[in-house]
Amino acid sequence: MNKKERAFKVLLVDDEDVFREATARQLSVRGFIVQTAGDGETAVKMVTDDPPEVVVLDQQMPGMHGSDTFIAIKKINPLIEVIMLTGNTSVDNAIELMRMGTFDYLMKPINIDELLYKIEDAYTRKKLNEKQQREVDQQH
Amino acid sequence: MRVWDTSHLLDDIPQKKDDVSDAEHVFDPIDSQVNVQRIRQHFKQLRTRLVLGLILGFLLPNALLSAYFHFQFTHTLMESAKLNLAAVAESQKNTIDLYLQERVVNIYNLFHNRDFSLRPNQEQMDNYLATLQQFNDGFVDVGFFDPRGIQIGYAGPHPKLLGRNYSKEQWYRNLIKEQKSYLISDIYMGFRKIPHFTIATKQQFNGRPFVMRATLDPDKFYIFLRAISHGKDVETTLINRKGQYQVVDPGRSQAIGSGDFIPPASESSGVKDIERDDQNMLVAYAWLTETPWALKAVQPVAVAQAGMMKTRLVLTISLVIISVLISIMVYLTIKKLVSRAQRMAEKGHQLQEMLAHASKLASIGELAAGVAHEINNPLAIIMATSGVIRDMLNPEFELDHSPEAIYQELFVIDAAANRAKGITRKLQDMGKSRVPSVVECDVNSLIDEVVGNLKKVEFKPKHIDIIYQLAPDLPPILAEPEPLRQVFSNILINAGDAIDDRGTITITSGYKEAMVSITIADTGRGIPQENIQRIFSPFFTTKGGGRGTGLGLSIAASIVKYLGGTIKVNSIPGTGSSFTILLPANSQVKQSIKTPL
Repeated sequence: MNKKERAFKVLLVDDEDVFREATARQLSVRGFIVQTAGDGETAVKMVTDDPPEVVVLDQQMPGMHGSDTFIAIKKINPLIEVIMLTGNTSVDNAIELMRMGTFDYLMKPINIDELLYKIEDAYTRKKLNEKQQREVDQQH
Repeated sequence: MRVWDTSHLLDDIPQKKDDVSDAEHVFDPIDSQVNVQRIRQHFKQLRTRLVLGLILGFLLPNALLSAYFHFQFTHTLMESAKLNLAAVAESQKNTIDLYLQERVVNIYNLFHNRDFSLRPNQEQMDNYLATLQQFNDGFVDVGFFDPRGIQIGYAGPHPKLLGRNYSKEQWYRNLIKEQKSYLISDIYMGFRKIPHFTIATKQQFNGRPFVMRATLDPDKFYIFLRAISHGKDVETTLINRKGQYQVVDPGRSQAIGSGDFIPPASESSGVKDIERDDQNMLVAYAWLTETPWALKAVQPVAVAQAGMMKTRLVLTISLVIISVLISIMVYLTIKKLVSRAQRMAEKGHQLQEMLAHASKLASIGELAAGVAHEINNPLAIIMATSGVIRDMLNPEFELDHSPEAIYQELFVIDAAANRAKGITRKLQDMGKSRVPSVVECDVNSLIDEVVGNLKKVEFKPKHIDIIYQLAPDLPPILAEPEPLRQVFSNILINAGDAIDDRGTITITSGYKEAMVSITIADTGRGIPQENIQRIFSPFFTTKGGGRGTGLGLSIAASIVKYLGGTIKVNSIPGTGSSFTILLPANSQVKQSIKTPL
């Protein structure tokens, strides 16, 4: 995926201001249209108002927890792919995240290239899902 | 409204030195071995006490009862032996009385013999002797005395006694003087110079007393006496009122002499204890009816009681054997029961240790997750910012890569690294022990001091009114001031953080039932019900953006628990929270303060 192909909206949600801004800057220079939110409630509102293609969501946030935010986003638009960022290294947590239906998860600290590839994959799958959805809708 | 009591949350927080050492090691096999040895020592002591207690409980009453029965038995034994010997003496006395009566009658009958004459010839006298000896072979001779006391007739082995005047002889004078018609003399030598008895009878003819007397062979009398004696080792003798033996030594044909015991004349019979040749003896006596002699039966006490002593010995040995057997049974039973209890206690202890170990491993797991999250956040910032710098240096992105711009990013990295350093330092502090400096702490002064410091920094950006409702004359708390300061500080910082811009913190202190209470109430946001159970867990925080580590309340609860107190939380979301700390007044805390992980 070249820089132009990456010009789709990515919502980055994390309560760590410095991390959020630094990561947003890295993603922006690589072509993504990056939106940011500092907490779950703001993220849900932004998804409602201006839905992104992919959400990068921190799991452990004060207030609305990452998992709750994920559920709320999926309720608004099930096709939006969510990549979860987590500090928890346990296998149980990873299984739980996948079971919930997140596209993938990344453990902090993250490698920007890894995040980039995962966002691209998530976007590709979203588009595929949307296409399939459209075909199903047309059949009905 | 929900009240949450922390007292059960931190059960693994040490209260004692032993617990402190437990907290240091997740699982220490040496500690475990020491505990097992302690359990064994406890059960060893328990076994000893139980065995001693039960054996004493059984043996002591048994010994007392045995002593009582032994005393009673000995007493009865002695009485029985005395009665037995007395019966022997009485029976022999009766036999001798009867024997003597018969002899008296034998002699008296001679006065009524068909050929009786006041001047008997030798033939008649010989016939008299023959008649007497028909009745009893103990008769030695027979004599007849006229009223002058001259032996005018004699038959026997001492013919020279014929014609002798006996008027001056003691026995003769007594017989003539007394009303009784017969007399039995004591043993004496007389004219024949041989020990003998005289049995004399008196008969009046024409108002004049004539005397018929016979002598008894003391040897034969002795043989008779021996013949009627019965009872083991019973020595039977006859003595007169002066204690002189009325029997002779058969070997030497002479009177034995005097005895060592003279029975009291006032009692017809009786039994006494005497000591002879360092031997306890029983003496039974009975005064004869016919003559002032006493029959004396002597038996060693040991012989008298031999049969019953044997019975007593058998009983005593049986009792000892039974006691020993019961003691062994008690010991073995207790040993078995205590060993079983000990095995169960050791097993229980092992399970408890395994549980504690598992629990600690789980805590470490939770802690590791919390630490990882807290450390990963600044690491994520560092990596993200270093990524930004790389982007800046990448010509492809055409970003500002001036040294100033790069320095700015490096500052961000420094800040994140410092944040990680701060977290690791706090973790180190939690595990570090310090030398305790326990002093009497005035809670009111400490609160005042802490609030003063907070007002300078933490409370400065907000409009927070502090209302003091401190009880005067509050008893001091024995503790280290710094940890106590930290408790108040951590709770007050949280209270300040809970207030958005303007609010009130009310601090109340009081004393009730030996506990000092400090309540810190704020008018802040309050704690949601779902969070109230987690606020004392390490790394739980609702403060976003790296402002909180989630360790403040955890540390506060640890310290309060260590001081023997509790923290209670009362919170209404949207209205405020109040934290009540209860601390024992004047409690001694001497161990080093260590905040457990």
